[in-house]
Amino acid sequence: MVEVLYFAKSAEITGVRSETISVPQEIKALQLWKEIETRHPGLADVRNQIIFAVRQEYVELGDQLLLLQPGDEIAVIPPISGG
Amino acid sequence: MSSLEISSSCFNQETKLLAFEPSRKDMDEVEEKSKEVINVTTEKFPVDEVSQLVISPLCGAVSLFVGTTRNNFEGKKVISLEYEVYLPMAENEVKKICSDIRQKWPVKHIAVFHGLAHRAASLEAVSYAIDTLKAKVPIWQKEIYEESSSWKGNRVLWGIQQ
Repeated sequence: MVEVLYFAKSAEITGVRSETISVPQEIKALQLWKEIETRHPGLADVRNQIIFAVRQEYVELGDQLLLLQPGDEIAVIPPISGG
Repeated sequence: MSSLEISSSCFNQETKLLAFEPSRKDMDEVEEKSKEVINVTTEKFPVDEVSQLVISPLCGAVSLFVGTTRNNFEGKKVISLEYEVYLPMAENEVKKICSDIRQKWPVKHIAVFHGLAHRAASLEAVSYAIDTLKAKVPIWQKEIYEESSSWKGNRVLWGIQQ
């Protein structure tokens, strides 16, 4: 079980700021995104603008294999606007 | 939104060896600890107070960047702004920027304040800090217009270092 955090536009689309989901311990980033998109189909609209932060490190929605521990935090990061 | 302030000291080996010696009276011998003050907050803070945080008798200059906000976008009037922040990661990304700055430039103190306002860095480090902050620090701004709103996105690529 990992915790997924939603921010900005992605939080507006899903209607939640965070949720716990169950995923395999080893999973590719893109597969993880597809799991999340299955739960929130509206996120398909922003797929090309999203990057993950896994344990607070940026990970692109690609083939990178994630090794997840229970309680790990995964953030859905839309285009940022700080500065 | 919660406010977070971090001040950390960095010692190098030489500084530790120059620690206080009771017999020394000459204050010039005392090494000033380098510090970083990081504050991501929606509360207002005066720019001169931020400047005071980084002034050092060992340094001859303070460089300051003050960011402000526009009241219009594409012909729409901005009524208000909302912010979100992934706070622990924002803090970490700012710390990484401070660490990069120290590797590249001989900077003494660094203060990074982000909210509705201001940030400070030193000399050539200013451009780097702003560019990298815009690309990497997870903070979001939403402009509220009269009949709509939009989440802003900086027009930079992620700039992730491979």
